[in-house]
Amino acid sequence: MISWSTGQRISRTRGRVSMGKILAVATNTVRQVVRMRIAVVFFVLLLVILPVLAAASTGDGTVKGRLQTFVSYGLSLIGLLVSLLTIIAMTYTTTADIVQCQVHTVLTKPIRRYQFILGKFLGVMIVDVVVLAIMSGLVFGITIYSPRLFRIDPEQMEQLNNEFFTARNALRPTEPDVSKEVEELYQRLVTSQELEQVFKGLPREQVIARLTQQKRLEKRAASVGQELMWEFHNVRLADPNGSLFIRFKYNVSSNPIDLQISSQWLVGDLRQLNQGVQVGTPIYRVERKDPVRTFREFAVPADAVAKDGYLAVAFLNDLDNDTVVIFPLDEGLEVLYKAGGFTANLLRGVLLILVRLVFLAAVGVFAGSFLSFPVAILLCLLVLFTGSTSGFILESFSFLGKNLSVIYDYTLKLLVQALPRFDLMNPTKFLVSARLIPWSLVLWQGGGPILAKALVLLATGLWVFRSSELARTTV
Amino acid sequence: MQYAVQTIGLTKIFNDWWGRPKVRAVEELNLTIRYNEVFGLLGPNGSGKSTTLKLLLGLLYPTKGRAIVLGGDGDDPKINRRIGYLPEESYLYRYLNPRETLDFYGRLFGLPSKIRRERTEALLEMVGLKAVANRPIGTFSKGMARRIGLAQALINDPDLLILDEPTSGLDPIGTKQIKDLIRTLASRRKTIILCSHLLADVEDVCDRIAILYGGRIRAEGPVKELLQRSDRIQISTGPVSQQTIEQIRQLLAQEAGQVDVSSPMERLESFFMRIVSEAQARAQPTSGAISTTQIGSFLAGQPSGDLLERLTESVEQPQPATEQSATRPIETPTPVKQEILDQLVYRPEDQQDKGQG
Ligand SMILES: Nc1ncnc2c1ncn2[C@@H]1O[C@H](COP(=O)(O)OP(=O)(O)O)[C@@H](O)[C@H]1O
Ligand SMILES: [Mg+2]
Repeated sequence: MISWSTGQRISRTRGRVSMGKILAVATNTVRQVVRMRIAVVFFVLLLVILPVLAAASTGDGTVKGRLQTFVSYGLSLIGLLVSLLTIIAMTYTTTADIVQCQVHTVLTKPIRRYQFILGKFLGVMIVDVVVLAIMSGLVFGITIYSPRLFRIDPEQMEQLNNEFFTARNALRPTEPDVSKEVEELYQRLVTSQELEQVFKGLPREQVIARLTQQKRLEKRAASVGQELMWEFHNVRLADPNGSLFIRFKYNVSSNPIDLQISSQWLVGDLRQLNQGVQVGTPIYRVERKDPVRTFREFAVPADAVAKDGYLAVAFLNDLDNDTVVIFPLDEGLEVLYKAGGFTANLLRGVLLILVRLVFLAAVGVFAGSFLSFPVAILLCLLVLFTGSTSGFILESFSFLGKNLSVIYDYTLKLLVQALPRFDLMNPTKFLVSARLIPWSLVLWQGGGPILAKALVLLATGLWVFRSSELARTTV
Repeated sequence: MQYAVQTIGLTKIFNDWWGRPKVRAVEELNLTIRYNEVFGLLGPNGSGKSTTLKLLLGLLYPTKGRAIVLGGDGDDPKINRRIGYLPEESYLYRYLNPRETLDFYGRLFGLPSKIRRERTEALLEMVGLKAVANRPIGTFSKGMARRIGLAQALINDPDLLILDEPTSGLDPIGTKQIKDLIRTLASRRKTIILCSHLLADVEDVCDRIAILYGGRIRAEGPVKELLQRSDRIQISTGPVSQQTIEQIRQLLAQEAGQVDVSSPMERLESFFMRIVSEAQARAQPTSGAISTTQIGSFLAGQPSGDLLERLTESVEQPQPATEQSATRPIETPTPVKQEILDQLVYRPEDQQDKGQG
């Protein structure tokens, strides 16, 4: 028969013991998730797919194009699979122990229910972090070693370092003020009674918004032989000996036969030309031929920026072309400059994914606290899907008719707006164009609010779980 | 803190999906269980035994009434620290092996790793599963899982041990071990609540019992008192002649002489049957099983007899009047299958070798 040699009291500080309990549940949850096989399946799937993807992605045929495609698809795939893993694991682990009654043995031990659920949450996050770390490590490794594999020449390597293995900030031209022109146009439409004809029943603000967009695009359009100029003020670069990257995309009114546009660019302090002043800083002249409707970029030395931080970029629609060239709004024309390294940027990108996972895990706890496993999964998937496409959904709301939009404004739209905008937190968008993912996005704009929402959901889930009758089977 | 467990008007009504009361599982239960008592909670299937235990432990919330466990609330970690609970089924993590299981539950008590390791090994030894301690519990038979369930309930050396049908699925040796364990723990001044419908177990180890039927207590008290029927007197003597008996009768009619007069002890089984059938006769409601002595007619046709006989029957007497027997010669009768005998006969050294039930 068993003998307990000691009747010793276990004296430890409370905090350490309760953390020990949470960790015990967390370790057990890791085992549970691993035993679910789903983690293993996803893991192996990624392990196989990623190298295949690396070999298969060709992009536009250049090494840079290959890397862009690989990073874009690779990270998206990782993000998607790990999101699904989080959803499935979290809802399973919170519901299964109740359905299979293990809570009867676990929660009659001196552990509080919130500790139990926090342990589960922690366990799922541990699995997430491990899978995410290994997988993004793989993506990183493949990306870094690819250039060597293709044995590219130093010149190409330098271009890669400038345009891919870097993290850059963007300058965008300020949109010109077109409000007066728009107002005039609007009045003209009203008096000529064309308004009703063109914008059938649209509310005034929306008509104005569309007219504004139209006017702005007009300012970004150059007919054959015409030139466009954008000015930037207070440009301050960390590295004045580095490079500036002019990134642009052409939309055209009619397709050229070879789908190419010839152009001439001037970059520098163009005030010097107008005023006939002595040239102080260099002005760079670039002649190019680029395909339409794709993002392209070229580099000029950073000393093009004037001492006072002034920079101008001018574009000339070459006489060889026979189409109007339009630079789309927002990303249609940008000046990029180096602001950080690739590795740290990738790391921030992975953190963005992690923020999403924390949120999804919290949704899982919330859903699992009162729904059955399949229904809880469904709810989480809905959240993931809606959050990932919320930009699109919100946009489509704005095109609804007057009456319908009132209903949606106070129901669905509120819900969609309450969800995090995963689409704005997508790291691939940044990494493909080698843009800096700012810490402010990771922590404050994206991370902060999302984590706060996650906290609210988690707390709600814990509260529901705390007061629920565990041995109560619901059929 | 007079009682280890006390319930005051404890009532549990399960509602259906629409919130309408459906099952009255426990009704107006007033239990008092003293410290250092082995208390047996008896009752037919569905009489509310497990529900009562779950109410004590805060796994279910009472519709009415209160339960005080060790002077506090059954789901307060401070109280849980002193409780060991074996649920009606073992409810363990199937992917953990016995060692990991016990370590996990030990960690929930905040036990330091050294003590966890010591106790895990001691308990594995005790329940005889040391040899399979590295196999996942999912691969275990019910009885083996039950043993781990029991070990799990003992990891904190509890002051109050709550066992819900601990012997279900256990072999005779396991059953005996549990009885021994209960006696040992009782001698160490522990309180034990034992829930069972296996009356022989209860009769042997319990100090006091309560019989539940339809969620209500039908009888309660010390086992000895309950089984003593004061309305009957039994006289036992050595062998005596008819004449003497006649004389004793006469004597008794006047005054008691040199005769041994005692109350007859009823077997718990007959007592239990009496209480339950009395309750049934009064048509008292139960949401559990109604026991009858009738056996389904399709079953009644089965030949009765010794288990061994039946097991070997088909070997010795091939089925008559089948087409096979017409075409094939009748095989010579074979002796009793040795494996069957092996399985039925208990050999202690087997138990040691395999270390399982
Ligand atoms: N979660 C539940 N929901 C509905 N009815 C239940 C639930 N748990 C138990 N019951 C019912 O309560 C009664 C008592 O059950 P229980 O306490 O498990 O009986 P036993 O004495 O066999 O342990 C039974 O009729 C059972 O069907
Ligand atoms: Mg039961």
